[in-house]
Amino acid sequence: MKPETISTIEVIITSVIRFWPVWAALAVSLTSGYFIRERLGTFGRLYGSPVGLAGLAIVLFWVFTALFADVIAVLGPLEQSFTGGMKKAPIGSIDSESGILFLWGADNLARDIFSRVVYGSRIVLIIAPAATLIAYMVGSTLGLPAGYYTGWIDTAMSFLANLVLAFPVILLFYLLVTPEVRIPTMYNFGLFEVPWSIPIGMAALFFLFPIIFLCLMWWTKYEKAPQKLMIRGGITLVIGLWLYVGLVFQSPIAPLSLDPNELNVFAAVVLGSSPGVFRIVRGLTMDIKTRDYVAAAQTRGERPWYIMLWEILPNARGPLIVDFCLRIGYTTILLGTLGFFGLGLQPESPDWGSMINHGRSFVRLTSTIHLALFPALALMTLVLGLNLLADGLREESLKD
Amino acid sequence: MDLGLSTDPNTPILEVEDLNISFYTRSGEIPAVMDFSMTVMPGETMGLVGESGCGKSTVSLGIMQYLGNNGQIKSGSIKFMGRDMSSFSREELRDIRGSKISMVYQEPMASLNPAMKIGRQLNEVLTLHEGLSEEEAAKRSASMLDAVRLPDPDRIMGAYPHQLSGGQQQRVVISMALLSKPQLLLLDEPTTALDVTVEAGIVELIQDLAREFGTSMIFVSHNLGLILETCDRITVMYSGEAVEEGDINTVFDNMRHPYTKGLLRSIPVPGADKYAKPLVAIPGQLPLPHERPVGCNFGPRCQHYDEEACNKGLVPMAEVGHRHWSRCARIDEIDWDADVAAGVIDEPIEVGDVVVSVEGLKKHYAVSSGMFGGGDTRTVKANENLSFNAREAETVAIVGESGCGKSTFAKVLMGLETATEGEVTLGNLDIAHLPVEKRDAKTVSSVQMVFQNPFDTLNPSMTIGDQIVRVLEQFEIGDSDADRENKMLELLDLVKLPREFARRMPRQLSGGQKQRIGIARAFAGRPKLVVADEPVSALDVSVQAAVTKLLTDIQRESRTTMLFISHDLGVVRYLSDRIVVMYLGRIMEQGKTEDIFAPPYHPYTEALLSAVPVADTHVKKRHVVLEGELPSPLTPLPGCPFQTRCQFAIPGKCDSQLPPAREMGEGHIIACHLEPETLKEMEPVIVVEDNVAAG
Repeated sequence: MKPETISTIEVIITSVIRFWPVWAALAVSLTSGYFIRERLGTFGRLYGSPVGLAGLAIVLFWVFTALFADVIAVLGPLEQSFTGGMKKAPIGSIDSESGILFLWGADNLARDIFSRVVYGSRIVLIIAPAATLIAYMVGSTLGLPAGYYTGWIDTAMSFLANLVLAFPVILLFYLLVTPEVRIPTMYNFGLFEVPWSIPIGMAALFFLFPIIFLCLMWWTKYEKAPQKLMIRGGITLVIGLWLYVGLVFQSPIAPLSLDPNELNVFAAVVLGSSPGVFRIVRGLTMDIKTRDYVAAAQTRGERPWYIMLWEILPNARGPLIVDFCLRIGYTTILLGTLGFFGLGLQPESPDWGSMINHGRSFVRLTSTIHLALFPALALMTLVLGLNLLADGLREESLKD
Repeated sequence: MDLGLSTDPNTPILEVEDLNISFYTRSGEIPAVMDFSMTVMPGETMGLVGESGCGKSTVSLGIMQYLGNNGQIKSGSIKFMGRDMSSFSREELRDIRGSKISMVYQEPMASLNPAMKIGRQLNEVLTLHEGLSEEEAAKRSASMLDAVRLPDPDRIMGAYPHQLSGGQQQRVVISMALLSKPQLLLLDEPTTALDVTVEAGIVELIQDLAREFGTSMIFVSHNLGLILETCDRITVMYSGEAVEEGDINTVFDNMRHPYTKGLLRSIPVPGADKYAKPLVAIPGQLPLPHERPVGCNFGPRCQHYDEEACNKGLVPMAEVGHRHWSRCARIDEIDWDADVAAGVIDEPIEVGDVVVSVEGLKKHYAVSSGMFGGGDTRTVKANENLSFNAREAETVAIVGESGCGKSTFAKVLMGLETATEGEVTLGNLDIAHLPVEKRDAKTVSSVQMVFQNPFDTLNPSMTIGDQIVRVLEQFEIGDSDADRENKMLELLDLVKLPREFARRMPRQLSGGQKQRIGIARAFAGRPKLVVADEPVSALDVSVQAAVTKLLTDIQRESRTTMLFISHDLGVVRYLSDRIVVMYLGRIMEQGKTEDIFAPPYHPYTEALLSAVPVADTHVKKRHVVLEGELPSPLTPLPGCPFQTRCQFAIPGKCDSQLPPAREMGEGHIIACHLEPETLKEMEPVIVVEDNVAAG
């Protein structure tokens, strides 16, 4: 029995209305931002570029959607409707038993697509920036010495980076998906058990970098002030390692943990993005290292790592911010691609990539195209927004 | 096409009347040029002088109608050969650019297309504007290359720009500009990027070409000495307005505007001596475009400022003589012959014991020419056998052009490089082989450097205060954060900057202020030796005097030895007690300042002295122009390094044996094969007329 549907116009209007918290938040943030734009630095200058402002608005749209997901979504992301005929229900269907409007239809397991897209934004907006951030830590920690020292260090690291870039990453992902590789084996050390697999190994390596990076920062800056160094270094190490054992080894003593699928995703994404960041940071380092203030730092006896982290990196932030925005976009797409290969998150996860993957088989019929269409639109708008934002930032930084 | 231009010799080539140019940016309208008028008659060379930001480049771009996206001529007219330029259509403008009006820019490398051979670029001018065939164009181009005194024109026609030196490139650009025999040639700081001796050659070339071809020229520069040597008339600009215009000798000797007077008084000229006639800096700063005063723009900095007369409204240009105008409201009230108030005249500094001693210093770099490090390894002998001393509170100047090894020497002193051989003794420590990582904090803080480019000398992402405090931390000065904070504020006082600057970011400071911070940084650890690498050359003329004075004041108080690296002989003469002249890694001459500037000279010193433009009409200079270019330090010839350009070279001696060091008395040493008697008979290069400057 087919459920009742509402008309297309009503669907559109209701869609707009349902996002009311987001519109309100956008209005408040953008207008208040306008008044303090002088103090907002790079982001304040976006107000001079319509393109950049549009990008910012789109990105903020999804950020607020993620924040207000509980208010906007109608059902939970995993809730299924058991009313007959609700599987793959068309756009605008009303569940006859509960009376709930499935605004964008239902998927093949009778879950509300609208709610899943909304909750999916949370996952995308947490994983993509976090993975990009870790990729930045890895890329910077390797790119700075490569650009600063040049010589054999540079040759060796560039070779490694090129190797990773040249290697067909899809094959790597397939490798990571196979059960032998993916499922961890447990090693018993008496007091505790340590799971181990290739993805866990990779994650163990990559997640060390933020800790190393921060520790290097404190050590170089406070070398001559041991107290400050102790405090900052101590806090970083304690919190960092605590989170580390949780995220990487699923240790129960830590507050956060990732399930194996999420870990795989992180490992794969960071591996794929780091060489690109490495190259950019290396190039910027080689350019900035010729400036007089770097020579001034050298002549007062600063350590090379101090110069790299405190003299060179902060002054490279312009192009890096732009790249960061773009890279989040690429990572989001990558999450979708991984979802395709089954290397995504849990199969029932509402992240857009997985939704597109599951909806893939249904695109042939126009009556079921909505299973993949809405997550694809969401993905597309987010990446578009990030691109426009990056474009606007770059343009504004070049203008007077 | 017929452009309706008048060739009547009484019609000015260029007549600019009440020109107003503004830039429209994000922050609104910025007036760049205001009420500007200038007339250039056929055959004249007009000099346009002013500091950075005064609008002189904007004027020349405006003449070319080439202001870019956000610049616009708000009002006023520019008449080229009688016809108003705003009446030209786009095609007509394209027609006259390059053929009737040509421009030569500052950076020769940026003006030439790196992907095209020189010959093709030159031919383009002729085939485009005169419709000549390729062969005819090539012939004309080759003969023009000859006219600009480039040897072997055919080889140059077939070369790419990067295969030529800076001086050669600029000659090519000049020849390109002159190829189609323009009526008007605009030169925007054409020699600023070149070495002094090369600059002298270009200047002489420009003078000869002006005579030969009868081209009118507008020469934009901030170097008053250069303008004095090349131009017939001069227009002085300040903050977007022309403040004085007239014949060159009239303006220099009988100036009628306080800014012109202040400018001339803040430049070191050969007669100036830092103790008897100190440089007087123009106080204050250039006003920001939106902070310009209601009346005279120069008012706030002028010692003759009077609220009633000077701040009532726009001051117009008034005629003070034959073709001599000035924009001063109090022309008749000021006594122009009175000297500018000089302030305190200091006692000469007493020099102490030897602090730094350099013995036989050698620095060679190995350069391999093959890929992957294979191939022949050649050595660049950057420094060869340098020996000299410097005493406490003394200022030793190291003078030489690019490639002479002075920057390498500075790097060895700072520990950024280690010497190949030789010793540098500081106190009782040999620092020549001690890289900076291995030096302890005390040694590091006692040898510090002031860098050349003030715009790059500070980390743009840290506040001024944090940067200075970091320096103090590295030098292990101060017992606590509060103590260091105090010391940092004291350093700001030392360089005469307000204490609020500690919270500012470098981008909020001007070039002169940034350089003061650089000086504060260098002196933070009470160093024994400060190496100043061209510290004022990137600054405006009026700011140079203030920063120079600051350096001498600090030196007087802290009794630091200063090693002053420069190519500006005027400043060197003013500041230093002793001078070391370097050429291609070797010391050619060293001695007390008076001994260097008077004969006997090393032939290179003679050429250097003659090459530096002097902004003083009472100085007569002997003309010694060096042929050729600076040779490459990669393939030095045996014998004296100066043999390729020396007019006294003795074949058989100078090209095979190193010249001996001749003692001329009182620490004055010349390394030359010429006999001391011959050297003593040389005529002085710079002669100061009357006793005006000496007293």
